[in-house]
Amino acid sequence: MAVINLKNRQIECKLVYYGPGRSGKTTNLEYIHKAFKKQVTGKMISIDTEGDRTLFFDFLPLGLGKIKGCDVKVQLYTVPGQVKYKATRQLVLKGVDGIIFVADSLAVRREKNMISLKDLHENLLKMGLSIRKIPLVLQYNKRDLESKGLPVMPVQKMEQELNRQLKVPSFTASALSGDGVGHTLNQALKLTLQSLQNEFKWAQ
Amino acid sequence: MDLGEKIKKYYKEAELYTSHGLLAEALEKYKSVEGLVKSTSNIRNRQGILKQLSIKIEETNHKILKLDGPKTTPEVAEDAQSLMKEMFSFDDPEARGSSALGGAIALAKFGQYDKAIEEFNRLLEYENLRLEAAKNILWCWIEQNYTDYAVSLYQKWRKTKLFPQKEAESLQKYFNELMDKTGMDHEIDGLESQRTVEPDSELDDDEILDISSVRFILPRGPKEGERTELEISFQSGKYIRMIISRREKDLVDSINPGDLLKDIVFYSPVAIFSGEGYVSSKNEIDAGPKKGDYSLEIKIIKIVS
Repeated sequence: MAVINLKNRQIECKLVYYGPGRSGKTTNLEYIHKAFKKQVTGKMISIDTEGDRTLFFDFLPLGLGKIKGCDVKVQLYTVPGQVKYKATRQLVLKGVDGIIFVADSLAVRREKNMISLKDLHENLLKMGLSIRKIPLVLQYNKRDLESKGLPVMPVQKMEQELNRQLKVPSFTASALSGDGVGHTLNQALKLTLQSLQNEFKWAQ
Repeated sequence: MDLGEKIKKYYKEAELYTSHGLLAEALEKYKSVEGLVKSTSNIRNRQGILKQLSIKIEETNHKILKLDGPKTTPEVAEDAQSLMKEMFSFDDPEARGSSALGGAIALAKFGQYDKAIEEFNRLLEYENLRLEAAKNILWCWIEQNYTDYAVSLYQKWRKTKLFPQKEAESLQKYFNELMDKTGMDHEIDGLESQRTVEPDSELDDDEILDISSVRFILPRGPKEGERTELEISFQSGKYIRMIISRREKDLVDSINPGDLLKDIVFYSPVAIFSGEGYVSSKNEIDAGPKKGDYSLEIKIIKIVS
């Protein structure tokens, strides 16, 4: 849940990168950390990994400066994607204001995307939240791998399988090079701040 | 696409999947390549290629087994634990307004049991937080499969009447439910019916070598967190006894009966090994040349390596 201090005109909200293991959630954060230096207000913390897999979460604090008269701070988190870390995902999701679902475009990961989206839906339900109501953006990551000869799903197919019912904004991306990372984050922030405005009327 | 091209394409895919950490997918591709190579004898260096593929398959299988193993929750660095406490203790109904309790609960939920127990133990001092702290301590021990120790701790609290009647009942109910979930046969309701107050040892007496000294971290008091090394004055199977000089008051106050020592190094004339032990007694010696010194007894519960 966002912390809103109307007296001091401050907002602090929490965005979580969700998605199957190895879909590129940590890579998104690493790129943001590298490319948005002005907005990054602290060091990126990756809490323990097994090889290069996230076991707990990654954390990156951002400061967006003044928006509509309010000082806006954002905490970005990733969840561990491996199925066995469901409890940790539930914990990291606590207090979430907006979600970026990072789907893997590789054809071989089709089912993993669907399982992870279902897992997100279930975890939100447990917290009394609806996947249809929470600010959510989809990112179809690893588009660059097509040029390396790996079979990648057409965007249209991914839209149909993951976004047919949700109808949320979606972006193609290659997090390693940074393509689409900023657009995805911008849209997620926009939706989240809009949602907080509807709820708390924070904007002047 | 001819066979050669197909083999090259699949192999390249397998290598790319490996480099992206998609091991199951890589394994499938390596196996497809192996199948293609085996199906034809018209390939140069066929045996060499098959050998190479077999190595790749074995390596990938090994990595998958390692990753698919049981969930690991390693202890993380102190700054990471601070972040867990700070960021995940909010709005927790279990915290009942106490950020200290909420922080410790967050640590426990992230599997940082040692640090969480350390914090809950500190909170046992506060009357208004004692019950929640105690429940969480029991939960932490059971989550780590130290059921016997949880039972002994619960019994100790009951015996020392740490909780008023109503809270004791609440703790008993909670603990019974926890124990039910473990599915283990247990008897915790009445103190008289206890099979033992000490946790069981996994070891037989004759499994344990003669031990000359031990080293462990002091669990409480003025020397909490410091390592100490003590010489063994007497050993009977899994029970070892040490003498602590009366002049080392801080050391005496830093360990008590009921403490679980999770990281003991045992030194024997023929080997060094590590394990876990339970402090079964600490008594002041009241006669003889060592009068006024303390006798400390540890029961060895487990040998780890």
